[in-house]
Amino acid sequence: MTIRTVRPNRGQRFRPRTHCLKKVDAIVVEMQDPKNGVKGSEQKLNVTTIPHAITGANITAWICNKMKTSTEEAQVFGTMLVAYGYIYPLQNHRKLVMCNDSSLYRFQTPYFWPSQQWVPEDSDYGRCIMRLTWSTLSPCLSFKQVDYNHLHEWLNHKWDFIVMQATEQYKAGRDRNKADRVVFDCQERAFWIVNRPPVSLSHSLCMFGKTSNIFYQQAIMRSKVKSSVSLGALVKYITSYKNHDAFLAPCLPSNPWETDHDAYWTLNMRRVDVPTKMRVERWSFSLFELLTDLRGRDDFKIFLKKEFSGENLAFWEAAEELKWGTASSMSAKAESIFKTFLAPGAPRWINIDGRTMGLTVKGLEHPHRYVLEAAQTHVFMLMKKDTFFRYLKSPTYKEIQKKALSPEAHNFSPAQLEENARNRSAGIHPIILWQQEEEEKAKAAAASAPVDVKAVMSKIDRKK
Amino acid sequence: MGKEECKTMLDALNKVTACYRHLVIALGSTSDSQNLREELKKTRKKAQELAVANRTKLTTLLKDKTISKEDRAEYERLWVLFSSSMELLEVDMKRSLEIGQDFPLKVPTRHLIQTGMTGSTNAVAARAMSVQNMKYEADSNIDTADLRDLQTEITQVSQMMEEMEMKVQVAPWAVVAKQEAGAELKSNMSVGNSSVGVISICEEEPKDDEGGEFSKVLFVMILKREAAWDK
Repeated sequence: MTIRTVRPNRGQRFRPRTHCLKKVDAIVVEMQDPKNGVKGSEQKLNVTTIPHAITGANITAWICNKMKTSTEEAQVFGTMLVAYGYIYPLQNHRKLVMCNDSSLYRFQTPYFWPSQQWVPEDSDYGRCIMRLTWSTLSPCLSFKQVDYNHLHEWLNHKWDFIVMQATEQYKAGRDRNKADRVVFDCQERAFWIVNRPPVSLSHSLCMFGKTSNIFYQQAIMRSKVKSSVSLGALVKYITSYKNHDAFLAPCLPSNPWETDHDAYWTLNMRRVDVPTKMRVERWSFSLFELLTDLRGRDDFKIFLKKEFSGENLAFWEAAEELKWGTASSMSAKAESIFKTFLAPGAPRWINIDGRTMGLTVKGLEHPHRYVLEAAQTHVFMLMKKDTFFRYLKSPTYKEIQKKALSPEAHNFSPAQLEENARNRSAGIHPIILWQQEEEEKAKAAAASAPVDVKAVMSKIDRKK
Repeated sequence: MGKEECKTMLDALNKVTACYRHLVIALGSTSDSQNLREELKKTRKKAQELAVANRTKLTTLLKDKTISKEDRAEYERLWVLFSSSMELLEVDMKRSLEIGQDFPLKVPTRHLIQTGMTGSTNAVAARAMSVQNMKYEADSNIDTADLRDLQTEITQVSQMMEEMEMKVQVAPWAVVAKQEAGAELKSNMSVGNSSVGVISICEEEPKDDEGGEFSKVLFVMILKREAAWDK
């Protein structure tokens, strides 16, 4: 982890680099060493002398020495120390740079170090401003009455507290000696210059107010679900899928990864005649499960054929093909879909509401991958709400449930396990599987082609 | 009357919180010492006693359904003041734990930061404890031994604040400030040090501030008040 910016990034991407800053802490502590650290001198104000003032040149020289780098590097590092708030300049306190000359700096107390991860709040800022107006530094604050009123409005509900705390802090401060008081004020002022650069008080408050307003308004507009509802749905999901998860429940007959026996995979293949009981149970969970399992989709198709309502599923499949297909075939597919399903008087016309139909037809003039999205969702909903439940109650489904296999759990001895490991084979080659798929698809296409009436009639005639 | 009592107790808590903050800021710097750690401990204990007392008083008052609307608004305002004080106290306690752990006093290789503060904080602590002079009687390993107590106390305070939020339903944003903007500027606060010293700090600044008028007005006001103070 590194700190890439010399100045702390206080924008939206602000991530406190605690780990790096802890290292900087250690360096700053080393600087304090009376023998090997940075040599300090005194700052003379008119009547008071405040110790522990260090010159920029001394700091840069020390960093050069310690880290064995060039003066420019050391100066950049020094500027980083100032920008992050470990050292603050005594003259020219608004410019957070380290100058390699005799300008004076002082160390910041650990309370105000950035590694402390204290998110400075507006009320703290308000309090500081107020206290500083009474303090030794007050004429140096350029503060407009307008800004002050702004602050009062913004922090109104905490204003009394701010006033009380500021008065008390000021009174407590008076119990310390003069030099300490000056240092105290300088420290706090330096902290706030680092953490809230006073570009223009009203401007920054305005901006802050606006951005947080937008943020909160958007948060209110988001649709919310009660946690009781979402948690209930989660519990339902877990209870239904609990036994089907191979991590949580043993899978039948045995987990191939554990026992090296691939019965589980062969029994659950794409075109198996008789599916397993667990698979069939999964189909009943939701229409989505049924359709994503291609064996289940086949079963559903058989049922729909009996009901003579196969066009919904056919349209859904065609839309999936359009979504996942190649870009070059898209316009051809879109054409054929329109002719088969959407045109008025089409052979497999689907029954969707007028608005969706209008949108889809318009979109098909310039087809893209997701042009059928709305219609597909509508059709899916139709199937889910109506056909799916009829399917679950149908004799087709009940039959397949009865026929489904429930294989016995394997119980291999260690010797058998070793043998299984030795007998591991590569399985069926994917090309063979693909060829099988293509053959099946061709058969299905031929079977579902619109019946040519003339051919049938001529056959009947010939029979006669 | 309940209100006056509440106000005085709240003022006391406020005073102790402010003093505690002064003390925590001095941690880790050159004005850190054995005494400072002991002062922190005593101030903390005092703050906690006051907090518990305040809380019981205010909760009983707020739970009372028979009080009038203005009274209720006033108690809610006091409640917001109390919870803000508690938040500050909690933050300061956590900071003092971290800094105390980072800067143990007896380790010679761990140097204290030369912040320019060299005076002692006796008077601040005495102010917090409302005594004339502080008596120091702790053993030499207070910096490490105290930290464990501090941790338990921090958890206690957090728990107390959670309970407070659960039990009393007061909307903090609904409270309206009693003081007006700028009222405290006209109040009886003075700088208390020589004006000559004040100028010399400013002289080191480059002349780049924009809002000259207000600061000038402020400066004149302060000088006038100083003259009054000197009398």
